[in-house]
Amino acid sequence: MTDLLIPFEYAYMVKAILVSGLIGGVCAFLSCFITLKGWSLMGDALSHAVVPGVSLAWLVGLPFSVGAFIAGVMAALTMGWLKKKSGLREDAVIGIVFTSWFALGLLLLSLYPSNLNLRTIIFGNILAISDPDILQVLIISGVSILVLVMKWRDLLLYCFDEVHARSLGLNTGFLHLLLLSLLAATAVAALQTVGACLVVAMLVTPGATAYLLTDRFGKMLVIATITGAACGLIGAYISYYINGSTGGCIVVLQTFVFLVALVFAPKHGLLNTRRQRRLAALPQTS
Amino acid sequence: MPSLSIDVANVTVAYPNGHTALRDASFHLHQGVIAALVGINGSGKSTLFKSLMGFVKPVAGTISIAGNTVEQARKLKLVAYVPQSEEVDWTFPVSVWDVVMMGRYGHMNFLRIASAEDKRIVNESLARVGMTDFRDRQIGELSGGQKKRVFLARALAQNGQIILLDEPFTGVDVTTEEAIIALLRSLRDEGRIILVSTHNLGSVPEFCDHVVLVNRTVLAAGPLEEVFTEDNLNRAFGGVLRQFHFEQSTIQDHDGKTVKLVTDDERPLVFGKGGHLEYKDRQGREDLVEKRQKEAGE
Repeated sequence: MTDLLIPFEYAYMVKAILVSGLIGGVCAFLSCFITLKGWSLMGDALSHAVVPGVSLAWLVGLPFSVGAFIAGVMAALTMGWLKKKSGLREDAVIGIVFTSWFALGLLLLSLYPSNLNLRTIIFGNILAISDPDILQVLIISGVSILVLVMKWRDLLLYCFDEVHARSLGLNTGFLHLLLLSLLAATAVAALQTVGACLVVAMLVTPGATAYLLTDRFGKMLVIATITGAACGLIGAYISYYINGSTGGCIVVLQTFVFLVALVFAPKHGLLNTRRQRRLAALPQTS
Repeated sequence: MPSLSIDVANVTVAYPNGHTALRDASFHLHQGVIAALVGINGSGKSTLFKSLMGFVKPVAGTISIAGNTVEQARKLKLVAYVPQSEEVDWTFPVSVWDVVMMGRYGHMNFLRIASAEDKRIVNESLARVGMTDFRDRQIGELSGGQKKRVFLARALAQNGQIILLDEPFTGVDVTTEEAIIALLRSLRDEGRIILVSTHNLGSVPEFCDHVVLVNRTVLAAGPLEEVFTEDNLNRAFGGVLRQFHFEQSTIQDHDGKTVKLVTDDERPLVFGKGGHLEYKDRQGREDLVEKRQKEAGE
């Protein structure tokens, strides 16, 4: 029994578990908007595009998250600009911009090594997270949660019906930027936990899971946040025992929960839709 | 506030790519009217809607809504928009109640927390369109007509005095169409202005009082009988309309005056000999029947 408490005897494990849970929860809250808005690819793109910011921030002596955040927002704006000017399809624009920013990041990091090494940025290393970095994560998470809790209804309306939002006088340009900024900020916060490669999972999977389980946005937020936070906490905890990558553990766990929902969800699950089809095929007895 | 009206004067709208969607368009609508905005695709119907909502700024001309600029009208939440069904993501996890509540957002505070008054208005709006029993349904689980009614309820909850409807009858069966028309009439009788964008010509004489015909400009605007003529429609639609003339038809005297028209989707528009509008029902058109009988007597 006491074996189960071993991870809590190490301060670094306690920090890792708590930070993973926090980031998991914040990303999951945001993931509801990202999946409904159809920005999943954008999340992937931004999490890679923040890399040059990490390097540049180190060079000029800023906290890495400030540089990464600026790089993320700039990449998003570049995509918007390029799409408008070139007339290319969105997936092509995203493909071009995020790879070029990521490549620039790789180049900069190889020429000017920073305090975060390339491996940490790409694969995450929550176990070695420093206290100043934890502070940055706490600030980003706090601000993100505050903004989301205050503005989630506006963001929901923006995602659902932009025309209506505009006709009511809501500033949709601002809401668009707000959602992008939140996406960039949480991508930065999640960087150290799971790494740039897997950030998108934290920003998509919990929302997708919750979407399968409910038809109400309010419930979707709650379900996503709870699964996101729980997977963060439990994934980090389990990683101690199997001595595996923390990010890998968290994301595999999230995927597992998603698969369970996909099969067993009461209404949209595969089992239920199959049962409905079979019922529909039966001769009507009325 | 002066009485409700829409005044569009010499409005030209050009998009940044240089395309002029509307040139020198003018029309006037007064309160208590159902007006059809009729034209082919690309004729500037949606541009006109966007201008009324303030999404595009005319490069020339003025739009005045109840004496206000479009910007002021938006602050007063005067204009409500009912989108086309195709524009809405029906898989979105929101209920009927949630959607109608969105009509109240403009009236709420910074945090958009619904007051008892907001809830009362949403309930009232749902009752008005007969959707109270469906308030907890996810919007994708509704029929075509129910979906339309939900968005009409949202416009009511917004307390829109000018309601813009985009193709309200696509994907709606005839019974529901009539229910929606009855609702629009009662809204008109309260003094609102209902502007319906449609390319479904046959339904226009059934429920509209006014017509605004557009083809890159306003070709004609005014009361139905004056504007909805064969000549004007030919100008608005060019060669797009299919026409069937019955002058040499096989109808015999012993058929009485009865012909049955069957169309797959839209109501047909029927002109009588000499180009006057023919209606499906005599009910409510007693004046017209009398006038026609007098002509026959002469």
